Amino acid sequence: MEQLLRIFYNNGSFITFVGLQLLCMYLIINNNSPQSKIFAETMTVRGGSVNDAISGVNSYLDLEEQNQVLQREIARLKGLLPEAQYNTEVAVDSIDDRTYLQRYTFLAANIVNRSPYRPNNTCVIDRGTQLGVKQGQGVVDNQGLIGIVDLPTERHARVISILHRATRISAGLSNGHYGTLLWDGQDPRRMTVTDIPDYAEVSPGDTIYTTGYSNVFPTGQVIGTVENTEIQPGTGSQHLNIVLANEPLNSANAYVVQDLFKEELETLKQR
Amino acid sequence: MRGVDPISNIIRFFLLVFLQVFIFRQVNLGWGGADYVFVLVAPLFVALLPLRTPRPMVVIFAFLLGISVDFFYETLGVHAAAATFTGYIRQFVLAILAPKDGYKVKASPDGKDLSRTWWIQYLGFIITAYAVFYFSMEAFSPVFWKQILLKSLFTIPISWMLCGILVSFLRPRI
Repeated sequence: MEQLLRIFYNNGSFITFVGLQLLCMYLIINNNSPQSKIFAETMTVRGGSVNDAISGVNSYLDLEEQNQVLQREIARLKGLLPEAQYNTEVAVDSIDDRTYLQRYTFLAANIVNRSPYRPNNTCVIDRGTQLGVKQGQGVVDNQGLIGIVDLPTERHARVISILHRATRISAGLSNGHYGTLLWDGQDPRRMTVTDIPDYAEVSPGDTIYTTGYSNVFPTGQVIGTVENTEIQPGTGSQHLNIVLANEPLNSANAYVVQDLFKEELETLKQR
Repeated sequence: MRGVDPISNIIRFFLLVFLQVFIFRQVNLGWGGADYVFVLVAPLFVALLPLRTPRPMVVIFAFLLGISVDFFYETLGVHAAAATFTGYIRQFVLAILAPKDGYKVKASPDGKDLSRTWWIQYLGFIITAYAVFYFSMEAFSPVFWKQILLKSLFTIPISWMLCGILVSFLRPRI
């Protein structure tokens, strides 16, 4: 502050001079027609570059606003992309056969959203109640299981992944022994089949299939292969550590398994 | 009129503005549709401000003089710009023309301690600064440098002479 005052004290006349000179210029340009014409002419001739520089600076000053405008535009354009559309084309695969009656239909779906990786994984598919997706229907992909529909909405459905600690799926071996498939929340490539009788002969490499007993997945759907067995002392059962045939967290395409007999079988269960 | 006190300066202010706008404004000689000879006595006020006036105040007083003249000339800002410039340049003129032993601010009652030569040089600088800046502002573009030069060349000697006469007649102190 003291330095500022000193600067003014030493250059006071100059500062006053410049200030009053600017005031005079303003008065001259605004009150004298020949001078204002000359000024306007000069501005037109020389001002182009000045205006360019000013607009250059201004274009930086409103970058934030421009960003928002562009973001809105991008959002609008993204809404026009095919990825943003809800695919109403229904691909349902079924077999028309006299010998066999269709029991399961497979509704092609895409996994459009998934929870971050954690012990309880869920994902969302782009098929909902308007295409007959209901709670409790299984979701599979080309190699293995994905999960079970938990909460269908009109156009989408939340799927509880098999990599969820609440998952209980009936799984068995080709020789008829079966147990419960569950996940310990540790390794997304491995799951455990519990409650296989300890006398069942299981070798590493044996294939684990779905049993179909819970009317969620079709019978005989491959889940994975046995890695090793752990006999649980005193319970008469053994646990099978299995390696999954698919990667439930990475697959993008899935099929909703729709069991046409489910209601019939449910009535049997309730009686 | 002859003193360094505020009253004298105020009287000088009004007298010079009066002389400039009611008498010397009528003098404008020229040929070929353009006037080249003017008489400028208003800068004499700036020249005769007391030596001890603070420099920013010199600039401000000069501006007030210029704007007063402008009101009568109907060229708002042109005289003011020239007078402001003169007020600013005065300190350097005084520094250039400073006597070897400096200015004796209180020495003499009637300015006789400053020689006639000094007065002529001093007024020459002030009038030249005022005239050149005034005509530049009037033309407002370096394109008209010929007119600026001609007007200055014709105006400066006459104004200089007149101011010299006024000063020797009045013998003011500064």
